[in-house]
Amino acid sequence: MSRNKNVFEKKKILIVDDSEINRALLSDMLSNEYEIIEAENGLEASAILHEQEQEISLMLLDIMMPVMDGFETLEVMNKNDWIKDIPVIMISAETVPAYIDRAYELGVQDYINRPFDEQTVRRRVVNTILLFSKQKELTHMVTNQIMEKENDNKLMIEILSNIVEFRNGESGLHVLHIRTLTEFFLKWLIEQGEYGLSQEDIYLICNASALHDIGKISIPTEVLNKPGRFTDEEYEIMKGHALEGARLLQDIPLRENEPLIQMGYQICRWHHERYDGRGYPDRLKGDEIPIAAQVVALADVYDALTSKRVYKAAYSHEKAVEMILNGECGVFNPVLMNCLRETSADLKEELARSEGQNFQEEALDAVEQMIESGEVEVSDRTFKLLEHERVKYKFFAELSQEIQFEYTVTPEMLILSEWGAKYLNMPETFLNPKTEAFATSVFAEGDFLHLLEKLENSTPDDPVIEEKYLLNINGHERWSKVIARSMWSSWEPPEFSGAIGKIVDIHDELEKMNHLQVMAAHDSLTGLLNHKTAKTQIEAILSRDTEKKYVLIVFDLDHFKQANDTYGHLFGDEVLKYVADIMKRNTRSFDIICRMGGDEFLLFMPYKDEMEPLVKRIFHLLCSQYKEFPISVSMGVADAKECGGDYDALFHMADKALYKVKRGGRNNYCFYKNELTGGDVQ
Amino acid sequence: MTVKECYEAIGADYDDVMGRLRKDERVQKFVLKLLDDKSYELLENSVASKDMSEAFRAAHTLKGVCQNLSLTPLFQSASELAERLRNAQDYSEDMEPLLEQVKKDYTHMIDCIRQLA
Repeated sequence: MSRNKNVFEKKKILIVDDSEINRALLSDMLSNEYEIIEAENGLEASAILHEQEQEISLMLLDIMMPVMDGFETLEVMNKNDWIKDIPVIMISAETVPAYIDRAYELGVQDYINRPFDEQTVRRRVVNTILLFSKQKELTHMVTNQIMEKENDNKLMIEILSNIVEFRNGESGLHVLHIRTLTEFFLKWLIEQGEYGLSQEDIYLICNASALHDIGKISIPTEVLNKPGRFTDEEYEIMKGHALEGARLLQDIPLRENEPLIQMGYQICRWHHERYDGRGYPDRLKGDEIPIAAQVVALADVYDALTSKRVYKAAYSHEKAVEMILNGECGVFNPVLMNCLRETSADLKEELARSEGQNFQEEALDAVEQMIESGEVEVSDRTFKLLEHERVKYKFFAELSQEIQFEYTVTPEMLILSEWGAKYLNMPETFLNPKTEAFATSVFAEGDFLHLLEKLENSTPDDPVIEEKYLLNINGHERWSKVIARSMWSSWEPPEFSGAIGKIVDIHDELEKMNHLQVMAAHDSLTGLLNHKTAKTQIEAILSRDTEKKYVLIVFDLDHFKQANDTYGHLFGDEVLKYVADIMKRNTRSFDIICRMGGDEFLLFMPYKDEMEPLVKRIFHLLCSQYKEFPISVSMGVADAKECGGDYDALFHMADKALYKVKRGGRNNYCFYKNELTGGDVQ
Repeated sequence: MTVKECYEAIGADYDDVMGRLRKDERVQKFVLKLLDDKSYELLENSVASKDMSEAFRAAHTLKGVCQNLSLTPLFQSASELAERLRNAQDYSEDMEPLLEQVKKDYTHMIDCIRQLA
């Protein structure tokens, strides 16, 4: 598995051909020295490459195949960048030049015609593998050398400029600030299309900007660090640092043609020129001053203003910008003034952000940029990191005991984690997953497509989705949560390229939750709703039913305390259950029955024309006998029509009616109707 | 029957295949595999169901296999058929003699190989 190839480990060759005889023939010729993996067509090959790209040393590819032919396979390999890592030898009877040309264009290394002979096949395979690994080794070496060189360059420049600044009594941050500012201004110029600058120019100018003051190394310390104002003579000496710096760079033996030296020369010499021609040392005017020097000059002035010096305090960002724009600190290119004006707010942020960034990071950026522009290819180190990540991923995937999956759009494939595949008793790889077992038997009809749609409709900025599905896991219906993250291409506009995700079983959790919900909504003794839940349900009805032909009844059991006192609490509980059962038996499913607490109950039910018959029926049903205990109730009734949709008001009315009954000797019912009217008791 | 005799009976080029595959046992092993190869069956079925692109692929595969094993007669007739079928949309009468020839060569070849088995 490791890329550190063991000498005793056979290299792997992938043979892709639809004819079993042809595969066997090639395999027979090569299996002594190589481990052979076979694929029947391009799609199968893609699945294998997706899994084991790093382990395959060579691919032998037929052109004419069903499902996905050789050219389509090469296109997939190009799209996924596999073609850079795996050399391909085409094997075909096709001798049409157009075919061969197309194959080479798509990146194949060699082409073997049928009928092939053993010697040719073996020789070409060996050569191609050797050549390719040699190439890889070389790019790896080059990458590392560039990386080292970049680091050395930066380091040397940093040391040099630090020496200058140290002598100058500055913090050492000046050079970093200049670099950040210079980069910032140059990026704006590129955006505006001014001066035809490129990313590489930025990189060079930023590096060279660190050298702008090296000429100060030859200025006597007493002048350089004089706290007060310079005399004219001292000022002349001070001004010499520009030419001096340029001279220092020019005199570096044999290096005068290095771009960094040339750029440094421009910046050193001309970073004190003024756009109106009144600067020094050469009194250049307008765009006679190289743009690099103009930008560094602006950066220099800005940083001088915003830094504390022996002779002055630091100005704020806003003040410094204002002073420069007002022409208080020299004359600059109007384009740059525009830049400062437009980007002032961003600049402040950028400076705050760049504090604390280090150079190593930038060196990495630079190499990364080169890799992107195709100058160097990804080094072996990166492969090792990838391999490391893969091992790590696999380990955690196994540990987590979850079904994890990976979905890719081209070629369309679904790969299950090893553990997940074992658990589901399914293969790890599905080609055309939409029609395969994972999508059709694990997911209910349409659910897998729904999941894919969700993923496709997510965005690179908000790629994570969470959905609940009732899945069929090994024949059991289980509520499961699918958490997945969509993957997008790196180019603009980003293209949906697939997703990774996992399936978490939440069935037990969900059942527990449902159970808890039921428990929370009901009174444990009688199984009736509790008051809170009843209230919520009634409020919902009141808000959606405009007619409001409902009656609210609250009642309690007369002399219930006596039942408890005389026969014990257990007996009291039995009475309450008995009353609850009467109500359960004599109400309909849409009636709301609730035990509010103690011996207090509540009923909420619709009525047709008159409330009274309904209330009367309930009242008489309740007046009964449980064992030795005669049951009678006091009942307050209110009409939902009169509450204006407000449950609390309704409850209050019924409660008031109940109170009236109690005061009137209990064992009766009473309607709240503006004034209270009593019912007749029989 | 030796492999060489079998090749002679088929009218195939034994020296050529030995030059490339090197070992008599290997040639024998792969020639015998032809008894299980489904390419010819696929060709017949595709023609019957008028699936010309599938028929082309089958003929092409047959051609490739025969070429690798220097089974000259079937290689030649399968090549001619494959060229006729390349990019063909529909079945047409003039394919019939080519198909007949392939059938004849295939049947004869398989008969000979059976004697080797």
